Amino acid sequence: MKRFNFSRFMLIFGLMFIYLPMLILVIYSFNASKLVTVWGGWSIKWYVGLLDNTQLMGSVVRSLEIACYTAIAAVALGTLAAFVLTRVTRFKGRTLFGGLVTAPLVMPEVITGLSLLLLFVAMAQLIGWPQERGIVTIWIAHTTFCAAYVAVVVSARLRELDLSIEEAAMDLGAKPFKVFFLITIPMIAPSLAAGGMMSFALSLDDLVLASFVSGPGSTTLPMEVFSAVRLGVKPEINAVASLILLAVSLVTFLVWYFSRKAEANRKRAIQEAMDQTANEAWQPQRAATV
Amino acid sequence: MNMFGRTLLTLSLMGAMVMGAQANDKVLRVYNWSDYIAPDTVKKFEDETGIRVTYDVFDSNETLEARLLAGKSGYDIVVPSNSFLAKQIKAGVYQPLDKSKLPNWKNLNPVLLKNAAASDPDNAHAFPYLWGSIGIGFNPAKVREVLGANAPTDSWDLLFKPGNADKLKACGISFLDSPTEMLPAALHYLGYPVNDKDKAHIAEAEALFMKIRPYVAYFHSSKYISDLANGNICVAVGYSGDVLQAKARAAESGNNVVIDYSIPKEGAGSFYDMVAIPRDAANVDNAYLFMDFLMRPDIIAEITNSNGYSNANAAATPLVDEAIRNDPGSYPSQAVMATLYAVPDQPIATQRIMTRGWTRVKLGK
Repeated sequence: MKRFNFSRFMLIFGLMFIYLPMLILVIYSFNASKLVTVWGGWSIKWYVGLLDNTQLMGSVVRSLEIACYTAIAAVALGTLAAFVLTRVTRFKGRTLFGGLVTAPLVMPEVITGLSLLLLFVAMAQLIGWPQERGIVTIWIAHTTFCAAYVAVVVSARLRELDLSIEEAAMDLGAKPFKVFFLITIPMIAPSLAAGGMMSFALSLDDLVLASFVSGPGSTTLPMEVFSAVRLGVKPEINAVASLILLAVSLVTFLVWYFSRKAEANRKRAIQEAMDQTANEAWQPQRAATV
Repeated sequence: MNMFGRTLLTLSLMGAMVMGAQANDKVLRVYNWSDYIAPDTVKKFEDETGIRVTYDVFDSNETLEARLLAGKSGYDIVVPSNSFLAKQIKAGVYQPLDKSKLPNWKNLNPVLLKNAAASDPDNAHAFPYLWGSIGIGFNPAKVREVLGANAPTDSWDLLFKPGNADKLKACGISFLDSPTEMLPAALHYLGYPVNDKDKAHIAEAEALFMKIRPYVAYFHSSKYISDLANGNICVAVGYSGDVLQAKARAAESGNNVVIDYSIPKEGAGSFYDMVAIPRDAANVDNAYLFMDFLMRPDIIAEITNSNGYSNANAAATPLVDEAIRNDPGSYPSQAVMATLYAVPDQPIATQRIMTRGWTRVKLGK
C-alpha cells in the first residue's frame, strides 16, 4: 500500500495552499496584539471593537448591499445578452455585438473606471444626473463588467441546451415568453446562480472601479482596507474578513444542503412516477387475462 | 419579472431618497486616510456644530488626484500630501483660504508652515495637518558593534562617508526606492539646493549613491519596516512613521531588537499631509469650521495621540502624550526642524533625469 504517493501529496499540498492562509487569517483575528504579524495571545476584543467601529461596519454593509444589487442586475442583463447571442444567430453586427458584450472581460479596470468617471462627470453637466456619485454609480460600474462574466457563463449553458424541449413546448401552444420563463430559465438556473455568485464576489472585492466612481458617503470595504494599510493593518480587518468567510461558508453550506434535498426529492418523484406507470401498464393486462 | 421590476424600482427610489437626504445645508464631506483622525473627532465636531459629517477614505494620493482632477468630487475637505498638492494647486483644483475665517491659524508651527510653503507659496491653499520626516532608522546595538561607540548615527555621514557603508554591509542597509526623495537627500548632503535642476549636480548625487551601491541590501519603500523589527537589517533610510512602527513591533514581539530613529543633523526631507478645500466644494462655510476645529490644540493633540503621527500645531505640543512629545524623531527641536526641507516638486524634465539616474543606481552600473 502506497500511502504517500505523488497525487495524494499534491492534493494535500494544493488544499493547504488554498485554505491555510484563510485559517491563519481567522486565527490571527483572535490575536490580542495590535500588530497583525505578532502573536500576543487569544482575545475577542477585535470582534467587540467592530461593534463600535461604525466606519468599518458601514463599509462592510455598503459593500454587501452593492454586491447584491450588482448580482441581480448583472444576471438580468447578462442573461438577455447571452440569449440573443446564442438564439438569434443572424443579425446585422452580431460579431460586433458579441465583441462588445465580452470586451469588459479583457478591458483593464483602470480604463473602464476612468471612462465611467468621465462619463458620469459629463452626464452631470449635460443632464444633471448623477448630481453626486455614490452607491448607484458604483452599482452601474460593477454591473457593466459583471454582466459580461454572466453572459459568458450563461451562453455556454444555453448553447448545450436541447432546443427540442422548447420546440415541444411551443408545439403545445406556449407563447415564447412563457417558454422562456417556464422551460428555459429553470434549465439554465444553475448557470444563473453561478453567474450571480460570481458577480457578487467580483463586486465585493473590486477596488479600482469603486475608487473611481464612488462619491461622498460610499466608501466600500476594499477601499477601507487599502486605506488602512498606510498606518498598518489592524486585526479588526482580520475579524471582518473572518465574519465574511463565516457568512460565505454558511450560505454555501445551505445552498448545498437544500440542493441535495431537492435532488433527492426529484429522484424519488421520478422513481414514484416510473413505478406508477409500470403498475398502470401491468394492471390492465392482468384484468384482460381474468 | 413584475416583482423583480418592482424591487428594482423600490431600491433605486431608496437610493434616490438617501441621496436627497444628504442634500441639506448642515453637511460636510471629508476625504482622508483611514484612521488618520481620532476615533471621536468627527463626533465631537458634530455635537458642537450640528453639522453631519461624512468621512470617506482613499487608498492612495493617486486616487484622490484622479477624483479632484475629474472635477465635481463632491468633497468639502481633502487631505493630499504636499508633493501632490503642488501639482494640484497648479491645476487649479483648490480655492484660496480666507484666513480671517480661521482664528486658530495662529496655533500652527511657523517653522513647519514655512517648510510646507515650498509646495504651496504663502500657505495660501492648505495648512499642514500631520507630518513626518525621511531620516535614518537604525539598530543601535548592531551599528555600534560594527562602527564602534562613536558611530555617527545622527548624520548622513553614517551612510555617505567612505568607509562606513562597506562595514555596515555586514548587518544590512536599505534605502527608499524613490528618486524624488532620495536624490535630494544626497544633493543636500553635497551642499546643493534640494530642488537643484543642474544636471551635473544631480549626476554628482547619483555618483554618491553609486559609490555605496555595492553595500546596499535593497531599495524598497516598505519592506524595511518588518526587516528592521526582526533584526534583518540594521540601517534603513525611511519615513519616520514607518520606523516608529518598526520600533513598536520590535518592542511588542519581545525579540530584544531595539530600533531608533534619527533626523540627520545636516537636514532631511519631510512630508506634510495638507488640509485643503476643493474649488467646487458645496459646503465651504462648514469646511472652514472643520478646518478651524482641526487647528484647535486639544483636538489635534488627540489625533496625534491616537495614531502617533506628529502634528504641525505648536500650541498642541504640551497636550501630546509625553512618549511622543519627548521623542526627538517625532518632535525635533525648533533648530532641527529648521534644517528640514519639504520634498521638492521638480519639473518633468528634471524628474526624468533623476529617475534615469536612480535606475542606474539600482542596477549598479
